[in-house]
Amino acid sequence: MSSAEHLIKQKFQQFYLERNRTLFSPPAASQREYGFLLFKGKFMVRHRTFKNPETLLTAIRDLSPAHVYFSTAYYQDPTASMDQKGWLGADLVFDIDADHLDTPCKIMHDNWKCKACSTVGKGSAPKTCPKCKNDRVEIETWLCDRCLQEAKEETIHLLEMIFSDLQMGDANLSVYFSGHRGYHVHLHSEDFRMLREEQRREIVDYLLGEQLDPSLQGMEDVPEGGVLILKGPQWGEPGWRGRMVRGIYEVLTKEGENLGLNQAQLKVINAWDKANFFTKPFWSSLKGINAGTWKNIVQRAVRETAAKIDSVVTSDVHRLIRLPGTLNGHTGLLGVNVPLERLDEFDPFIESIAFPEGQVKITVKDSPEFRIGSQNFGPFHDEKIELPTAAAMLLLCKHKAEPTS
Amino acid sequence: MLTRADLAKYPFVAEATDYVRELGFSIDEIATPEFSPVLDRAERRLEEALSKSQISVEVSNESAEILSFPVSNLILGLIGDERARRRFALAEAKRAYDLLRQESPEKLEHIATTTFGWRLERLDIRLGLRLYDFGLNLADFLRNSVHLREPRWNLPNRVLNHGLVYVTREETARLMEEEVRMRVLERSSKVPASVPQPLGSKVERARGLVIKWLGIPTQYELPKVPMPDAMPPCIRHLIDNLNEGKNVQHMGRFALAAFLLNIGAGDEEIVKMFKPATDFSERMTRYQVEHIGGKRGGRTKYTCPMCTTLKTHGVCFKPDKICDTIRNPLSYYKRKSRILSGKGPSREFS
Repeated sequence: MSSAEHLIKQKFQQFYLERNRTLFSPPAASQREYGFLLFKGKFMVRHRTFKNPETLLTAIRDLSPAHVYFSTAYYQDPTASMDQKGWLGADLVFDIDADHLDTPCKIMHDNWKCKACSTVGKGSAPKTCPKCKNDRVEIETWLCDRCLQEAKEETIHLLEMIFSDLQMGDANLSVYFSGHRGYHVHLHSEDFRMLREEQRREIVDYLLGEQLDPSLQGMEDVPEGGVLILKGPQWGEPGWRGRMVRGIYEVLTKEGENLGLNQAQLKVINAWDKANFFTKPFWSSLKGINAGTWKNIVQRAVRETAAKIDSVVTSDVHRLIRLPGTLNGHTGLLGVNVPLERLDEFDPFIESIAFPEGQVKITVKDSPEFRIGSQNFGPFHDEKIELPTAAAMLLLCKHKAEPTS
Repeated sequence: MLTRADLAKYPFVAEATDYVRELGFSIDEIATPEFSPVLDRAERRLEEALSKSQISVEVSNESAEILSFPVSNLILGLIGDERARRRFALAEAKRAYDLLRQESPEKLEHIATTTFGWRLERLDIRLGLRLYDFGLNLADFLRNSVHLREPRWNLPNRVLNHGLVYVTREETARLMEEEVRMRVLERSSKVPASVPQPLGSKVERARGLVIKWLGIPTQYELPKVPMPDAMPPCIRHLIDNLNEGKNVQHMGRFALAAFLLNIGAGDEEIVKMFKPATDFSERMTRYQVEHIGGKRGGRTKYTCPMCTTLKTHGVCFKPDKICDTIRNPLSYYKRKSRILSGKGPSREFS
């Protein structure tokens, strides 16, 4: 273990040892599998079960792990090997992560490095190294206000889709900040619990709009008076029918020019009155767009309005996922429950701080500017400084700093 | 709600099971002369399914039509031939579909909710050119739709509103067909402890029918030596990518290793295949190959992921004609190797 890891582990232990510490307890907590990723050797301890939150807390206090996970699945025997566990169902979970979003600030704070030739660059990692064409490119991410704001907006968009399309009334839904770059949505529902992997994958495809065929959602060329007229669904219709229409409107009004529309067509778009959209397809007044352009527009519309979830997390019925109320070893921030009504105003850089007190002396190699609480820090470059514990922990966990001895 | 004529049409419904139970006959009575129409019909049900994958509707003798269904299932359970069970389940399901699609929404709803436990709501909503009679609970929809392959059954192509999937009357009947198929398959899998004496001769005759129509069960053996020409496009693409030193994602690597292990390639051979990978580590690769082969870790031997999974993860590549007929790369291999070695039917691909 490095000296940074020693310090992080020690701070984590102090956090967990606090007298009033309690843990989040998921429904049917004793039917879950628990796992811990240790600092030492990045070793994973899993297939554990705990009768109650107190014994779980005792184990966490002993181990002081970098990450604590629990299974989205329920098992007869959580400690058995995978094929002997006796699967009893699983929550339906969704993961929205800034990794999957295209935020403009990544160029400022994300770095990549080619493991082969050590070329470095800014922003999202290229598929292959531009210099040596090798594909072993490592990415170093950062978490910033902008990225987390976009992740939150995506989460809100996902929730809207869940409530309007998926939700069957009685499901019990919770939203958690992961303590790093995203949000998790957990649905505890009898209806969804027994869904198998291939069935969950259908839900994933639905939310992503994957393989959506517009002609099966009501977009059809219908002959009328000798010419083909594009008929389509209407604004207020349920599911993808209405969503596709709203997306088309967004795409046309925002980027009509880039899609090759002429001035006359753009003029028509600007003159549209939204109030009429509920009664007839609004594009009927838009003449002279060829089928290829329409196809392009509809594809963009679907992509724009889809929920950008991580497909693997939702379809995996044996997933281990972060236990809310525990520390995230990538940041030193807490994974926390965010009540739905507070999601809009939730500020992860204030409300997930686990170490509000004290100062730590560190040596920073390189760090972009960041905010913890209401204070901004950095950017830093090869400096010895003393920072509030939460800020220092973030830099230590992100491998941007070492403790000053 | 359901008449006796309905039970004859739909002998799988809960009411038909009750009806049979209320008659309260014992297994010995099967041998009595009054029972022979039932036994004859049970045998004909099987023969129709085996010979033309279609079961007729005989309304002239309603009780025989109702009672023969469980008897057919019992006989199939005793024979225990999976091909026959599948054939029968499919034929019974199709028979049900042809009848169900002509029924009133009320009757569909009754059978779907009481026998299948579906949560179904009457809608009568017109969207575009289609009239949606029902909203079907998402979980009930998915349980059946995942077996259907036309694009219209993919969830992104459906209308989904507050957990209800909009379905037309015809679609409801089609989904019910699937439910019937699964249930008949399940029912005929129950093997009674012993052959009831009076059924003995019937079972033997039915066994003869299975051999007559489906042939002697031969487990087609995969080629002893891996046959590269029989590999599906996705697998060949993965191998090509590795050879060209391109990056192959986790799911692709897993699929490739699992596929090769399942067609009988040796661990060493597989490890060698990964050598061109830029991040190749022999120790790691060997561990993972052994893990997938069930020699390490959880001791589960993994099979190759389904085509749907590979599609989701972008591993599927240029699917060809054979791909349209299979759901797993291993089935592709089985089929193609059979064609290439001249042992199997090639009619579908001529």
